[in-house]
Order: sequence, then structure tokens, then C-alpha cells
Amino acid sequence: MEYALLQAVFLPLLLSPVAYIIGRRVGPTPAMWFTFAILLYATILVIGSALSGTVEEHYPWTEQFGEFGFLLDGLASPFAIIIYVLSTILALYSKPYMIHKFHAQFHEERNINVSSSGQTAILESSSLTSYVNAKSGLYFALYLVFAMGMLGTVLSTNLIEFYIFFEVMLIPAFFLVALWGDGPRRKIGLMFLFWTHAGAVVLLLGFLMIGMTLGSFDFADISESAIPADIALYSAVAISIGLGVKLAVFMFHIWLPYVHGSAPTPISALLSPAMIGIGAYGLFRLVVEFLPLTFAELAIWFHIWGLVTMIYGGAMALMQDDLKRLLAYSSISQMGYLLFGIGSISALGLSGAEMMYVTHGIGKGILFMMAGIIIVRVGTRSISKLGGLASKMPITAVCAVIGALTIMGIPPTSGFMGEWILFYGALETAINDGSTLRAITFGLGLVATVLTMAYMLWMLKRVFFGKTPEHLDGVKEGSWYMTAPMMVLAGFSIIVGIYPDIFLKSIIPYMSGVLGA
Amino acid sequence: MATESLDFGAIAAWLVWILPFAAALIMPGIGKLSKNATGFVAVGFALMSALSAVSLLPVALEAHEIHDQIMWIDSIGIKAGVLADPLSIIMANVVGWISFLIMIYSTGYMKGERDITRFWFWMLFFIGSMQLIVMSDNLLQVFFGWEGVGLASYALVSFWYRDKRKDHVGTRGRTVLGMLDYYAPTHAGMKAFIMTKVGDVMMIAGMLLIFLFAGTFGFRELLDNTDWATTMAAQGLLVPAFVLLFGGALGKSAQFPLNEWLLEAMTGPTAVSALIHAATMVKAGVFLVARIGPIVFALGAAGIMTDQFFEIIAWVGAITALLLATQGMVNPEIKKVLAYSTGSQIGYMMMALGVAGLSYQYIDGYTAGFYHLISHAMFKASLFMAAGSLLHVVGSRFMTDMGGLRRHMRKTFAFMWAAGLGLMGAPFITTGFWSKDAVFAAVYESGNEWAIPLYIIAVLTAVITAFYTTRMLGMVFFGDKSRHIQKMEEQGHYIHEAPLSMWMPYGILAVLTIGIGIIGLSAEEGLHHLFTEYLGNYFGIHIAHVTAEPSMLPGFLQGLNPVALGSSLVAFATGIGLGYIFYIGRWVDPAKFVNSNILFYSIHKVLLNRWYLNAIIYWCFVVAPLWLARAVSRYFEKTVIDYGMNTGVQKAVSWGARVVQGTQTGISQTYLFVFGAGLLFVVLILLI
Repeated sequence: MEYALLQAVFLPLLLSPVAYIIGRRVGPTPAMWFTFAILLYATILVIGSALSGTVEEHYPWTEQFGEFGFLLDGLASPFAIIIYVLSTILALYSKPYMIHKFHAQFHEERNINVSSSGQTAILESSSLTSYVNAKSGLYFALYLVFAMGMLGTVLSTNLIEFYIFFEVMLIPAFFLVALWGDGPRRKIGLMFLFWTHAGAVVLLLGFLMIGMTLGSFDFADISESAIPADIALYSAVAISIGLGVKLAVFMFHIWLPYVHGSAPTPISALLSPAMIGIGAYGLFRLVVEFLPLTFAELAIWFHIWGLVTMIYGGAMALMQDDLKRLLAYSSISQMGYLLFGIGSISALGLSGAEMMYVTHGIGKGILFMMAGIIIVRVGTRSISKLGGLASKMPITAVCAVIGALTIMGIPPTSGFMGEWILFYGALETAINDGSTLRAITFGLGLVATVLTMAYMLWMLKRVFFGKTPEHLDGVKEGSWYMTAPMMVLAGFSIIVGIYPDIFLKSIIPYMSGVLGA
Repeated sequence: MATESLDFGAIAAWLVWILPFAAALIMPGIGKLSKNATGFVAVGFALMSALSAVSLLPVALEAHEIHDQIMWIDSIGIKAGVLADPLSIIMANVVGWISFLIMIYSTGYMKGERDITRFWFWMLFFIGSMQLIVMSDNLLQVFFGWEGVGLASYALVSFWYRDKRKDHVGTRGRTVLGMLDYYAPTHAGMKAFIMTKVGDVMMIAGMLLIFLFAGTFGFRELLDNTDWATTMAAQGLLVPAFVLLFGGALGKSAQFPLNEWLLEAMTGPTAVSALIHAATMVKAGVFLVARIGPIVFALGAAGIMTDQFFEIIAWVGAITALLLATQGMVNPEIKKVLAYSTGSQIGYMMMALGVAGLSYQYIDGYTAGFYHLISHAMFKASLFMAAGSLLHVVGSRFMTDMGGLRRHMRKTFAFMWAAGLGLMGAPFITTGFWSKDAVFAAVYESGNEWAIPLYIIAVLTAVITAFYTTRMLGMVFFGDKSRHIQKMEEQGHYIHEAPLSMWMPYGILAVLTIGIGIIGLSAEEGLHHLFTEYLGNYFGIHIAHVTAEPSMLPGFLQGLNPVALGSSLVAFATGIGLGYIFYIGRWVDPAKFVNSNILFYSIHKVLLNRWYLNAIIYWCFVVAPLWLARAVSRYFEKTVIDYGMNTGVQKAVSWGARVVQGTQTGISQTYLFVFGAGLLFVVLILLI
């Protein structure tokens, strides 16, 4: 289909004001369905294009920067599919969660501006409705722009275009956190903006080094042989650091637990699995594909950095009492897996890393939704106040177990398919290079999977099993808007786990091509 | 030998494991329609799976195989397949029929359970995964089943996830080295899953190593061309790879040092303990060794050094057999005694499979190990189910709460004795005797440098086994009624026999233990003959033709090793005699005996405290890492990273802002003055 990718990227942006108006004038439910319909259409376009193989679209742009294009190839399509599938189904999930949140904030704000006590109940309820309508319009508009920014980044064919989309996804994300986060949301939103923006600037520095040297920002024009080795090294380091902030690897991770802990849960469920992994996409595209020689030099550092992140994130996850912060640290640990795989410089290791993005997207998506249901239904996210919820919310419990198994990498969930390929790649390089260091990192990486299992099972035990505290007696299962998306993802996890070729058949040829070249 | 696809045999081989999964999949739907129907559907599908396994038996008896493959992960070139050879078909039948009987038992045992649908789901999921391990033709697919049984074990051990006090195991308030010896079901499930995962991690490392060099996970493909093994051996990686693979078996089969989870796994419903933690899942490790053992041995026969692999297996088996048997002598909980016994008996199997590879007669040890697997599956499943009946009736896990039950539960009494005799190895009439004797003979005749120490351990373990089995039977059925039972009777709860659906399954298995035991020797010879053909056909492993010494034994015992037979008899007599003195005849009070001197007292204490292994594992792998993580969280994450890079940067920026703010005086004269000074400066620079 012509202009398929252009539509998939820009329709959500162009129609976001419409979503705002629908929300404001009609109400949250139509706005939600409108958002869902746009994203569903865009998702179908993306999946349809991915099925037909590599798709490329080019549009004229400015003289200085080059072409404005979209490229959906073996690398980009799994990213694109996960981003849009998650965005689409989370649109449904958003409605009940955000209405819950708007109600809470409405009461909060009303208590602050102590209103005259003479108001009638009818007036209050109508003002609540208009409040919710206005806010949900704004929410879904921002949501659409956020989703579009993520997709645009992974489809870009130009460094400047990549950078623009990279920043575009940041802006709505900042507002979503700053407007409807929990806790000190403005402060955390600013922290998010500061950290990721600082990372993006370093990234831009790397881009400019490459672009100025080559005189073009188009991906098609980038060839490592034309770049002097030292500039290639500096720019690769700059790009890695810039993307490392996004990936929240060890030492650059501190923003992530705050932001993912505070952001409204559907946004956490997009930020954590979909957005931060885009850092890995950037590494694949910009460093592995475009600067392969420099990458080969840096790979061992990625490997070790990834390993440290895996273990560190897991250890910190053990220590958390806040459910969402636990999941956030788990995300850090999982991003360590991605980096670990990238550092393996083996076709299967890199493919495993990309599979980890897919499975982490599915698994962590489910787990954040689980956290959101608990926040809405129980009203707390402190694990020590939870327990025995499996009998109260069976669907959530089952989905959460599947999500946790996906993160732990237990077959038949998709996690295992990512993990064994990833570790195979790490082992392959260790043996072929005869590297003791890599053999040790391989072993420690496997130890990290046991750690992952420990914190996940412990979390499940404390939330869903054991004695039910008395204050949880009246807790009910989440609404269908919230449970159905979880079930879709849980089923998806098992399908991919049994038949991984859905993604592998596009990933592996790409990775072999990149490393073989 | 591989038959064409789409013939009946191949379909049956797939159905063996697909049927239980299909039933598990529809189980939630059926549970919604009718809770009563779930049991019928579950038992029905278990039966169909078992019948599919039976339909394959002719293939096994002819020592043929069915090997059917389909493309699975095309992009890496990995195929999925079933491999129905004598080993897997016999195993599938053992698993299939024992699960079928236990499913029937469960309809009685789990009657009235609120979450019965969940129970059936996981039982079926378990059977499917177990049959997947058995039928798979490659390691990756085995790993799917491997983790599947682990998952089912996790879910079923913590089946009663509400952690009520009656579902705990251990003695309340008792501590060993500061660690509580009292476990909730959810804790136990987690412990089982994580400990077996440690083994699984080793297994996956081994699998990946082999795949890296061989380029295949397939059992048959591994022997098509053995160049990979030569390359690996040259790099010194062959034996480590197989030992890592054996690591998976360590975890799953609860072998030393990953044995401690099995005891806590007894928090699950007893039907689960019988199926998963006695008859089938814990045998998965033995099955894996039986699967890869011939490959390793064939490589060894091709001149590649593989002895260390078998030495490790044999010693792990021996250590586990003795270590767990000793603890079984003192534990007061009936299910835990049986669990110790299970681990210990699996040690025997490992020992046999290990020494097999160290001798010229690979087939002897191989047959012995596998025969012991079959006979143990029967009598241990029977014992566990009978123990479940006791728990059901008495309402306590402690044998000290039982006593004098023989008059009230005659059927259970008889069946438990029959199965118990199998475990003790009562001469000539039980399967347990013949299989244990085969293990003894294999160890004794292996002619290996370790043969004598291993043999001594094996015999010692047999003495202890006979002793603790007698102790268990004596404590439960003989003597006076305990205070617990007297109290129950005062409240009007009278002890009665378990219902038909419960006693029949363990009755059948107990009768089979004796029944097959009577023809045990010929059964063993049949199995030996079958495996001779099988190993000869597919692995090129043949019997070494040594001139057989004429045996001194008369008649039907011709062909048995007299030393093994003699020590087997002595061990049985010693064990049961000692047990009789303390627990049936009750001539000596065991408590007084233990407290009579410091030596007995300390031995008893060490055994009761599980050789302190469990506590040490908790200290090293739970307490210490948590402490470390807490320290890092407190002194690094919250200070260096969070304060240093977050708050620190914020403070620095706002401090900088304040400095800059100082210049914003708002006084126009100052601004004009600075402006003039700047202008002058620029002019001066331009002039110079």
C-alpha cells in the first residue's frame, strides 16, 4: 500500500486535536474508541507492510538534512509492531485507569481550592464530568503524539529525522508524567525531561560529528570507511551514551524508577517496555549497522555494562516495596540483557537481544497493567500491604504469572525464546574467541536469570499468594477494559514462545546480514 | 528405520503429549460449565494419553523406533519431533499409567476442593510436559517439557496458596542455625522452582555448548557425525558440557547438592507428591541421563575420554542415596520420610547409570537403573497415595499422631506393607528386590576402581532403607493409638478406611509390586534383552563377550551375582530386624536409646537438622545476597547514584543560579556601568 508508513506515523499526529475535541465535547469513552481506532488502523498498516517484507518510503525534505523517509526492515518491524500493538491495546486500558486518576485529582484540587460549601451536589457532579472530559481529551491527544513519536523514531532513515522523533516522543511523555503522575509529579517530570534531554543532546553531538564529516545525514549515505577512525569512535561513544540514558543502563538509570513509578500506569506500560528499548534500536541501527568496526571494538564494554546492569537492576528490584518501582528496576535489569546481547557480536546474540525487546514489551506490559489494576482496585502499591489477591482477582493473577514467566524466560512464554538465543550468541563468541572474560560474563549472565526469577517469584508471592489482609476483603477484579488487554498480551506471549519464527524470520536474516557484511 | 510421516504410530507418539495439553487448555472452560465434569474430563484425557502410549508398545518390543519431525524454528533450522524408541515408549507407559491411577486417586483425595479446576489444569499440564520430555527427539524440546514440569511443580506445591497453618511442613517454631524449619506452601513452591532453576541454568549452558559444536539438538542427529565431539574433546569441553547437562538432572531429580527443595515440596496435595515428587518428575533427571548416557558412552567407545562424566554421576548418586536415607531414619513426618526415600532411591538409579558407563557391560548398569526406575515408580507412588489416605483420615502429617491404625484401615495396612516390602527389597517376591539386586550386581561387577566404595555405600543405604521403612510402618500401624487419635475419637471422629477411588489406585500398584516381583527376574531379563538390541541397533553398544563363570547358585537364581544377592538379603534382614526391635516389637524405646549417650544424641541431632545443609544454603544464598543487596541499595543506590547524580546535580544547578542571580541587581546604574566597561573593553581589543 502506498504511503502506508506515512499514514501510520502521521495520522495519529494529525488526528490528535480531533481526539482532544472529542474528549472535551463528548467524553472519555468516544475519545478512547477514536484513539483506539486510529491506532488499530495504523497497526494494521504497519503489520501489513511488515508482512510484505522490507518497505521503504521517501519524501522530499530540506536541502541541508537530506531525505525524509521511512524504512521498515527486519530490524525495525519487530520494534514497530510491539510499539503499536502496545499503544493500541493500552488505549483501551487507559480509560478506566485515567478516569480513576482524574477523579482522584479532581478531589485533590477541590480540596486545595477550598470551595464554598454551599454548592449543590448536581453542580459538583457536572463539573466533575466536564473536568474528566477535558482531561481525557488532553490525555488521548498526548497519547497519540507519544505513540507516533516512538514509531517515527524506529522508522527514520535520516539522523536528523531520528533526532526529531526522538525528542517528539519526549514532549508528550513529559506532559503525561507531569500532569497525571503520582507523588511529586512535576519534579519527576522535569527530572525525566532533564535526563532524557541531556542524553538526546549527547546523541545529537554524535549525529553532528557523523553528519558534518560526511556532509549528509541520510542513513543511506553513511559508510564507516568515509569517516576517520577517531571521529567514528567519538561519535559511537557519544551515541552510545545518549542511547544509554534512554536505555537506563547502570549509572544512567536513576531517572527511570522515579518516572516509571510515578507515571500514570498505561504510560508506564508504554514507557517501560516500548520506549526505553528504543535505545537498543538506536544501538542496532546506528552503531552496529553503520559503524561495525568501531562497534567491534566497543562490544566487550557493552557486554560488561549490560551484565552489570542485569545484576544491579535485579538486586535493586529485590529491595523494592513499591510495586511499580520494582517493575521499573526489573526493566533496568532487562535492558541490561539487551545490552548484553548487543555486546555479544554474534548474529544470534543480537537477534536474541531484539527478541528480548519483544518479550520484554509483552511481559512488562502485562505486569504494569497488573500494577495498574491493583492501584485502581486496591488503592495501594505498597507490596507489604498486599497479599492473597489471587482469589480476589483471578484473571489478573493468571495474566501476571504469565507476564512474570515471560520476564523470567520460562517456556512456553516468549521470554525463553529470547533468552536462549541471546545466551547462545554470548557463548558462541566466548568459545570462538577463546575469551575467558566472555566465558565468565556468560556464566554470570545465567546467574542473573536466577536472580530475575527470585525477585519475580517473590513479588508474585507477596502480591497474589499467602494470607489476605483484612482490608483487602472487598477487592474486585478489574474491568474488562483492563483485563482484556492483559489477556491479549498473555496469549501473544505464549504464541510467540511456541512459534518464535513470527519475529525471528525477519530478525535473524537482518542480523546475519549486518554482521556478515 | 524412521517411518514415513502420517502413519498411525507417529500420530500416537504425538498424541501422547499433546492430549494432556489439549485437555489442560479446555479445562478452564469446562470448569465454568460444570465443576463435576472436570474430574471426568481430566481422567479421561489421562487415560487416552496412556492408551496412545500403549499402542506404541509393539514398536518398543521389536526394538524399533518411530522418529517423526516437523519444521519448528525455520530461521535457525531447528526441527521439532517425536522419538518413540524402546526407552521413551516404556517410560511413556510408566508415566501414562501411573498418572492415570493418580488422577483417579485425586478424584477422591481432592473432593470438595474449591479450586479443583486449577488442580486439574496443572495436573494435565504436568502430564503433558512430562510426556513431552519423554517423547521429544531433541534437547530444546525436552527443555520445554523440563521447564513445564518445573512450572507445574511450582504451581502444585503452592496449590494451597492461602498458607494456612495445616498446609505447612516442618515443626512450628523449630530453628536450625537460626533458620526456621517450618515452611509455607508458597515459600516451598518458590524454593522448589528456584533451586531446580539453578540446575536448569546449568543444563541450558550444556545444551548450548553442544549445539554450538554439533549444530543440532537432536538425539539421533548427534551421533550421525561425531566430529563435533572430537573437536570439543580437543578443547576440553566435551565432558564439561555433558556434566552441565547433568546439572539439570541434579536439580530436577533432587540430587546432592540441589536436594533440599524436595522436602518442602511436600506442602503440595499428596496426589501431587505421589505423581510429581515420587513417580515421575523427579525421574526426569534419570530419564535424561538414560537418554544422553548411551550417546556419551558411544562417544567413549569411539575413543573419546568420557569416564569423568560417568564417575560424577555415580558418585552424586551414591552420596545422595546415603545422605537422604540417613535423614529418613529420624524425620517425624510421614511424607518427608517418603521424600527422603525418593531422593535416596533415585540416587541408586543414578549410581547404576553412572557405573554402567565405567564398565564394559554398559547394558547391565543401564538396565538396572531403568528397571529400578520402573519398580520405584510403582511402589513409591503406592506408598505416597497410601500416606495421603492416612493424612486424609488422621488429619496430621506427623507419624507421632498416628499409631495403632492397623485395625481400622486394613486395606491401607496391607497395601502399604506390600509396597513397603518393595521399597525394602524383600527377597524374591518384590520388584524392588530384583531391581535393587540388579543395581548391586552392576556396581559390584563394574570392575571399576570405585566399585568397592560405591558398593559399600549401596549396601549401607539398603540397610537404612529397610530400617526406616519398617520404622514408618511400625509408627503408623502398630503400637497404641496416639493422643491425637484418642482426642479425635473423643470428639466423635472415628478412623475409617479411605474411599474406593482412593484405595484402589494404590492397591493396584501394591499388588503389581508383588505381582511383577514374582516374575521379577524374567521381567528384568526381558528388559535386558530389549535394551541389548536397542543399544546395539542405535548406539553400536554391544555386550562384551566375557566367558561367563559358572554360577554357584541353584536353579532359578542362575545368573545372579552371589555377592550382590547375599548382601541384599543381609541388608534386608538387618534393616527390618532393627526396625522390628524399635518400632513393631517395641522392645526398646527409641527416644531413650537416642538419649542414652552423647554420640547417638548428636548423630540424631545432625540427621534431624538435615546435616545442616539446608540452613547453610539459606545463609549463603538467601540471607547473604539479600543483605548485600540491601547494603548496595542503602549505601550506593540511594547515596551515590540518587543523591549524587540527582539531588546533587539539582543542588549544583540551583546554587549556580543563585550566583548568577546575584548579578541581576535591577539597578540601572550598575547595568549601564557594566555595559560601558564592556564597550570600552571591546574598543580596546579592536584598537590593539
